[in-house]
Amino acid sequence: MSDRIKIILLLAPAMAVIGLLFFGGLLVGLMRSLNYMPVIGLTEPNLDAYVAVFSSREFLRSFLLTFHISFTSTVISAAIAIAAALLLRRTFVGRGVINFLFQLNLTVPHIVGAIGILYLFSQSGSFARLGYAAGLIERPSDFPALVFDPYAIGIILQYVWKEVPFIGVIVLANMQAIGQDYESVARSLGASKWQSFRHVLLPLIFPGVLSASVMVFAFTFGAYEIPALLGASHPQALPVLAYKAYTNVDLAARPQAMAMAIIIAVLSAIMIVAYTRATRARIRG
Amino acid sequence: MTLKRRALLGSAMSLALFGASQIQADTADGDALIGQDWDAIVEMARGGEVNWFLWGGADNINQYVSDYIGGILRDEYGITLNRVGLTDTAEAVNIVLGEKEAGVMDRGSVDMIWINGENFRTMKQGGLAWCGYTETLPNTALINWDNPAIANDFGVPVDGCEVPWSRAQFAFAYDAAVTENPPRSIPELLEWIKANPGQFTYPAPPDFTGAVFIRHVFYHAAGGVENLLGEFDQAKFDEASARTWEILNEIEPYLWRAGATYPTSVTQLNELFANGEVALNFNYEPAQFGLGVMAGTYPDTVMSYGLSDGTIGNTNYTIIPFNSPNKAAALVLQNVLLSAEAQLTKAQPDVWGTSPGIEMDRTPADVQAAFAAIERHPSVVSAAELAENALPELQASWISAIEQGWLANVAQ
Repeated sequence: MSDRIKIILLLAPAMAVIGLLFFGGLLVGLMRSLNYMPVIGLTEPNLDAYVAVFSSREFLRSFLLTFHISFTSTVISAAIAIAAALLLRRTFVGRGVINFLFQLNLTVPHIVGAIGILYLFSQSGSFARLGYAAGLIERPSDFPALVFDPYAIGIILQYVWKEVPFIGVIVLANMQAIGQDYESVARSLGASKWQSFRHVLLPLIFPGVLSASVMVFAFTFGAYEIPALLGASHPQALPVLAYKAYTNVDLAARPQAMAMAIIIAVLSAIMIVAYTRATRARIRG
Repeated sequence: MTLKRRALLGSAMSLALFGASQIQADTADGDALIGQDWDAIVEMARGGEVNWFLWGGADNINQYVSDYIGGILRDEYGITLNRVGLTDTAEAVNIVLGEKEAGVMDRGSVDMIWINGENFRTMKQGGLAWCGYTETLPNTALINWDNPAIANDFGVPVDGCEVPWSRAQFAFAYDAAVTENPPRSIPELLEWIKANPGQFTYPAPPDFTGAVFIRHVFYHAAGGVENLLGEFDQAKFDEASARTWEILNEIEPYLWRAGATYPTSVTQLNELFANGEVALNFNYEPAQFGLGVMAGTYPDTVMSYGLSDGTIGNTNYTIIPFNSPNKAAALVLQNVLLSAEAQLTKAQPDVWGTSPGIEMDRTPADVQAAFAAIERHPSVVSAAELAENALPELQASWISAIEQGWLANVAQ
């Protein structure tokens, strides 16, 4: 048996799962979004659901909100993660402990984190209670609205909290593999600390930062549970809006739900490509 | 095992059992049973079995059905009860619908379904229900068919196609240690909201409980529910809904977070209430306020209450599909469910704690006494007190129109 065939055979189970479940699901979703469901007598595909979705103001507002959530979370997480990795690669007493603490919440599920945010930052949460005890606020509504708020602060807080260690671990591993030799050379040739970071280290770690950021962006753009738990009732993140249409008692809303799901998939793909190109051009340029 | 798998396995098993039971007298012909002597029906049912499809998501309900009701059927009537758990009642309706489409007219696999609302409407519209038999049941005497909330299932006339099992009614709640005089009618509530800014909110539809609250305001705006019963009427809807959105937009600045956002689920409202962010709460199942106090989520001083202009109640029913081959056994089962003893047991807080579908004052004196002696949790309003002012649910078409209208006119 040639190596090629062996590789193909070994990959087959994984590819079958991806092909059947992922692309199969995508295909069925695409068919339903086109109003094609022979089981209930819909056999003439059309674009009605897409027209309805794109002409709805609610969809546009949801899209802007979702983009804001993903973009802001990704940029803040990446910036903090790089800064943290720069500190963590140094040698200092207690580094092992700090490193462990830094990575600890990688194991905490998103939902648990969201409940934590709720307990800490809601208007009757721990910080509001501390504020009350300190005489800073008189009633829950005096505390700033950080969850269920129109700017999605609670959602972004949760994502940043969870994604900083994720990007951080990748960047740190990257930095340690690269070592400090290149920067030392740059410094010996007269580069400032900032210059050696900006023009030497950053381009070197950039592929790692980029791939981690893309993962975070795509995940946050399509994730349902955090905006469902911490989001305002209106506008809602796209996945929440799609799920709401999917569970609508009116069966006619089902194709629209599927259309939204397909649009979410296409939009995240487009934005990932754009994000990759834009940041790559900026760093190299 | 997941509920769905259990339901599937259950259906498969009951199908297999059903095949074996064909030697028993087949009682698929409903017309032959209607008006028959009850003892004769019981004899026909003896030794047979009945496949009851019902939501299986609560252990206490499953236990009551399998052990208590199943025990009575086995010991007193020699009938085997097969409880088939469902995650969604529509699954059972779809089985019957599929059988009808496939031409299975007298050998169906479903003998009874726990049902109400839209699923009942589907059964009735699709001609999937067996109707006109209710007077044959001896315990029909315990049912108050003159109560519009019993005779209409979410606005659809029952017409002898199902019999009531239990009732639930909307109730409000407040913390007596914080709020002195909670508003006791919708007009009072609207005034109260303006006088107490930030202390009230309701979950945004499609949340079920939030939608029920909006219907209370809708009834008020329409000048009473009497005008809204029956088929959806666009003219009536336009008039009442315009007024409803006006009222709800008028109170919006006085809601929690000045109405900039609404809770998205009743669970979120419960949290806000538990944390003292809002002063009022409401639920379709008042027993849950007692459970909340027992769980320590709410303080002991939380009290639930009804409104003087009424709160919406719904009734849930049991229905027999047109193609059930075991109609005699299904009738016996329905009669047992309606019996005073079975309803009394079901009302015990440690069994289920739900309100009877029958009129308890038509039951024997000892049952009435035992029913009156049931110790309610002090935080739970008495079902009898609530029932004095009960409002019916509307037909499903009204309900979805109100929800859509709210999203378009109030949410944005």
